[in-house]
Amino acid sequence: MATKIRRLSLTAGWLIVTLVAGLPVFGVVVGLWPSVSISWQDLMVFLAYNGLIVSIANTLLLSLAAPLLAFYVAFIVYSQYRFNPRWQVLEKRLAPLLSLPQLAVALGLVYLFSSGGMLWSALWGVFGHSAPDWLGLPRKSLLTMVLAISLKEVPFFLLILSALGRQLAIKDWLLQGRALGYSEGASWWLLIFPIMLKQSRLALLAAMAYTLSVLDVSLLVGPNIPELYAVVLYNWQTGFSALDQSQAFIGNVVLLAMLGVLIAGIYLHEYLAVRRLGIYAVMANPLKITKLSRLFTMWLGFFSLLSLAILIAFLLWSLGWTNNSAGNTINWSFALWQDEWYFMQGPLLNSINIAFFSSVLGLGLCILALELQQQSQRYLPDYVWLLAILLPQLSMVYGWQVTHSRLSASYNSAWIVLSHLPFTFAYSYLVMRGPFQSLNRHYELVAASFAYTYWQRWWKIRFMLLRPALLSALAIAFSVSIAQYIPTLMLGAGRVTTITTEAVAIASGNQQSITAVYMLVQAVLPFIAFLVASMLAQRMRGSFNAAYQ
Amino acid sequence: MMWLTFKSPKLISSALLSKRLMSLGCLLLLAISPIALRAQEVIKPDLAQLENSEQWQQTLSQAQGETVYFYAWGGSKPVNDYLRWAATEIASRYKVRLRHVKVADISEAVSRLKAEDGSKSAIDLLWINGENFSYLKEQQLLLGELWSHIPNSAMLATQQLSLVNDFGVAIDGFEVPWGVGQFNLMADAKVFQQNTLTPSSLLAAAKQYPERITYPRPPEFHGTTFLKQLLVALSHNDQRLFVAATTQAQAELLPLLWNYLDQLHPLTWQQGKAFPSSNTEQLALLQQQQLLMAVSFNPNQLLKEQSEKGLPASAVRVYFAQGAITNSHNLAIPKGAQSPAGAKVVINFLLSELAQKHKLQGSWGDPAVITPLLDEASTLPAQQELHSSWQQVIEDKWQQKYGA
Amino acid sequence: MLRINNCRISTENGSIDLPDIALDSGELLVLTGPSGMGKSTFLHWLLGDTIKHAKISGNISLNDVSLNSLKIEQRRIGLLMQDVHLFPHLNVVDNICFALPHGIQGGNGKDLNKAQRRETALAMLNKIDMAYVAGHYPEQLSGGERSRVGLVRALANQPQALLMDEPFAALDPLTCEQVSEWAFGELQQQGVPSIMVSHDINNIPAKAQHLDLAKYYRRL
Repeated sequence: MATKIRRLSLTAGWLIVTLVAGLPVFGVVVGLWPSVSISWQDLMVFLAYNGLIVSIANTLLLSLAAPLLAFYVAFIVYSQYRFNPRWQVLEKRLAPLLSLPQLAVALGLVYLFSSGGMLWSALWGVFGHSAPDWLGLPRKSLLTMVLAISLKEVPFFLLILSALGRQLAIKDWLLQGRALGYSEGASWWLLIFPIMLKQSRLALLAAMAYTLSVLDVSLLVGPNIPELYAVVLYNWQTGFSALDQSQAFIGNVVLLAMLGVLIAGIYLHEYLAVRRLGIYAVMANPLKITKLSRLFTMWLGFFSLLSLAILIAFLLWSLGWTNNSAGNTINWSFALWQDEWYFMQGPLLNSINIAFFSSVLGLGLCILALELQQQSQRYLPDYVWLLAILLPQLSMVYGWQVTHSRLSASYNSAWIVLSHLPFTFAYSYLVMRGPFQSLNRHYELVAASFAYTYWQRWWKIRFMLLRPALLSALAIAFSVSIAQYIPTLMLGAGRVTTITTEAVAIASGNQQSITAVYMLVQAVLPFIAFLVASMLAQRMRGSFNAAYQ
Repeated sequence: MMWLTFKSPKLISSALLSKRLMSLGCLLLLAISPIALRAQEVIKPDLAQLENSEQWQQTLSQAQGETVYFYAWGGSKPVNDYLRWAATEIASRYKVRLRHVKVADISEAVSRLKAEDGSKSAIDLLWINGENFSYLKEQQLLLGELWSHIPNSAMLATQQLSLVNDFGVAIDGFEVPWGVGQFNLMADAKVFQQNTLTPSSLLAAAKQYPERITYPRPPEFHGTTFLKQLLVALSHNDQRLFVAATTQAQAELLPLLWNYLDQLHPLTWQQGKAFPSSNTEQLALLQQQQLLMAVSFNPNQLLKEQSEKGLPASAVRVYFAQGAITNSHNLAIPKGAQSPAGAKVVINFLLSELAQKHKLQGSWGDPAVITPLLDEASTLPAQQELHSSWQQVIEDKWQQKYGA
Repeated sequence: MLRINNCRISTENGSIDLPDIALDSGELLVLTGPSGMGKSTFLHWLLGDTIKHAKISGNISLNDVSLNSLKIEQRRIGLLMQDVHLFPHLNVVDNICFALPHGIQGGNGKDLNKAQRRETALAMLNKIDMAYVAGHYPEQLSGGERSRVGLVRALANQPQALLMDEPFAALDPLTCEQVSEWAFGELQQQGVPSIMVSHDINNIPAKAQHLDLAKYYRRL
């Protein structure tokens, strides 16, 4: 009887997990199914698109370079801060750094640092001159785009590394490395980096898939002669003519192929990096260059300043400051805030509701998926679980929308929560997989010897030890749900508005003042989530606290 | 070239015209002189009579208690504020709840209608024009006969404004004009000497102020319109632009534009290696003094920006000497709308004198489309829209020549 | 010659004034004493690691060079812990190569290249008949194999002294006896002065010096 129930619950578990993990594939199949027949002619037209090759090459370069750059920076920063008293400060500050929306970072970067940006204007203004044009970031270029993306990804990778670090005996490895005559910096690179790089595959992949298809930032700072691929694809997808639709279909297939290239890129980079470091290890290379990484002790100060500058700029805009107003003619006013606050409350509450349920459920399902795999000793490839992040979102959600209206379903928060689930699930999985799998089984073995049942052990040992990682995952899932625009709009149909559906629509108008108001409010919710998570995590001991010995 | 310099006391009501007559009317309006049009005048039906008609009364009572989900671009604070105002007015007058569903791009609504495929729709009302309208009309996803069912559409200034066509596609009652766009430039006072511009004065300005002039990257429709204006001017208003683009016409006319752009681009912002993504981004660049001009479809935008201190008081509005390409932006109801009666009531209100006046005089400043409020003093001379086939041709060829 | 003079360990509860220690090449000192008295902390201090929960003062010198102001990596003192910490991403040979000093030279006075370094490491394994694990990764080794590879790795580094923190405690008694006998022989042969922390008072090699911390402990 007991085994029967157990088998039944196992089956049910697999079923639920399969459903959620399968939703993205289902969506893409329904959504991408060509509504027009595709001919050779269409393919020729597609290939003849002027700048296609450059666009694809640029996009691939960007999607590879920006996340990798961010990962390297994050690793160096992590290595500089981990066993430093300021680690605690960094962990605390990760919350505000993580919660600024990507678009806000890009906007801030452009307005502050581009030629004619606020910073240079202010600096040169002191001397009564206008800043020279050549100074500053180009408004639209691959370089600016790489910077905008990688800046924002660094805190994300720091969070991932911090969760990973709790599971690894970093301190002992470093000690061993140093006892063998290596500097601490060299030990980080030769001993810790290869392992962290391998365990960060999923995070890298997620960041790359995001960069591959990000639209709003591409429009704002991406090069547009030729445009980045996401923009080209979006133009086809929203063109609706038969030709545009066939181009969109081929375009989506190419997007998937590009994703495949990125996956290969991750493995190739990993192979090359690990091999290179392996050779350095064999040759006992002292890696003197790692001394330079001390420069990165300034990262926290730099990034905090940058975030603060962006926040202040946004605050000033929202209070009536414009580029035209000279110092004394500004009409400071809270009018905009007062105007909008009344209309923001509903969307804010909706956002919180939806994000709460979808993140908790997503994390729960993720744990279920991990547990089921652990029990059956069969681990499916990670890509299966991360499909929601990997597949093209517009087509996927379109498929859900088609199904949703075929079912004549109602428009309410429950459907939105369901549509967010694949995303919160995937991001939770991304954060949880490493910690869950590398958890030392001996703890549970010990508990078993004390006659604790399986579920007691699970709850009292595994769950408790995983708490810091669970909190990180929850905070990320929460902010992922907050940031969803397309699924919320398409399944909520405007019946359920969230702060993000409002903010994205408003940001499309490029009006500094009101965009600033909504971006600030939109940043508040993830900020609270990350802050609470980091405060709680500091009170808890993870499964490996070698660092605190 | 068509100048909107006459004002007729009479109205054409589409209610009395068959669809065929409508399209005939639109052709006439586009091509024939105002005197010829006067001959087409139809006796104006009494507005009050229409409002009291049994059909409309039925619509009003049906609409009570309905909620209308209005999908409209949400990127403009003035527009959002205007719709908030309209929502309160409509609620108190007609007991209809108007909900503005803000979208970043109206194609999101079109995509929804495509997904719903004519079945029960989540959209009751949407704000569209151009390609999106053309697609929805062709797919038969829109409710027809709007003009004849909405009393206030009798006030539409069809004789003075080109309101029967939307980017070359006959409206045929599948959408109702809500406002008018006229293509113009907002520029720093020093750039242009006159309030009109020509390709050569633009080129001169670009030479004098290198890297300070640009336009949104096609296929963004402001950018495409900018190119259309140039093409009209460069070809001296060649009539072939107003009929389907033949291969020969393309071969003869387009090189004029490309030769011109070849000269212009090295002088534009970023030397033509990048363009703003939209008119709103271009405006932001103007405000940040990166550019000396920005394009707009709202002839009153400059005044509104100046009163909001978005642009300095010295900035000026200029338009192409041949006239400003003039378009309407419109309201449509999907076939599957759940509250079609409510949606009609909303359209009727938005066409009322009160609402149109508020739209014109409030922070939005969008020109009115009804006869009682036509203001010729502030209306720019109009340039006829090119035949719709030219749009695709210009965008594709531009991408071929300058897109990479 | 490893010397430790005027060494004092103070913890919250008490303090230890150690007698001066002097170890010649190949000599072994075994430290015993109850848990919590600071044996491991003392080793970490010798190594140069930052230590918490205790204060230790004293002079450390190796071949008449003071070590006190040097960083871990400059002291040339090896470390062997109970969990051997072979690096999981490197196989056994590469783990040993990692420990071979940088710029180690061959007979011709030139730096060894990659293949030669691997050969050198393999030769070390061969000497103890363990060449069969050369290509294995740490997780594929048994406890005894791991300890032995750990010592080979530590010695490959050519340390001036070696510290061992209960290095063989995790092994079963038989293996422990075999491995430790082999290990002490090896250390003696290589002439490395070593200090080992152990809890096993009954199993101290005959030639080793023995220091029982409990004898010097003073409660506050």
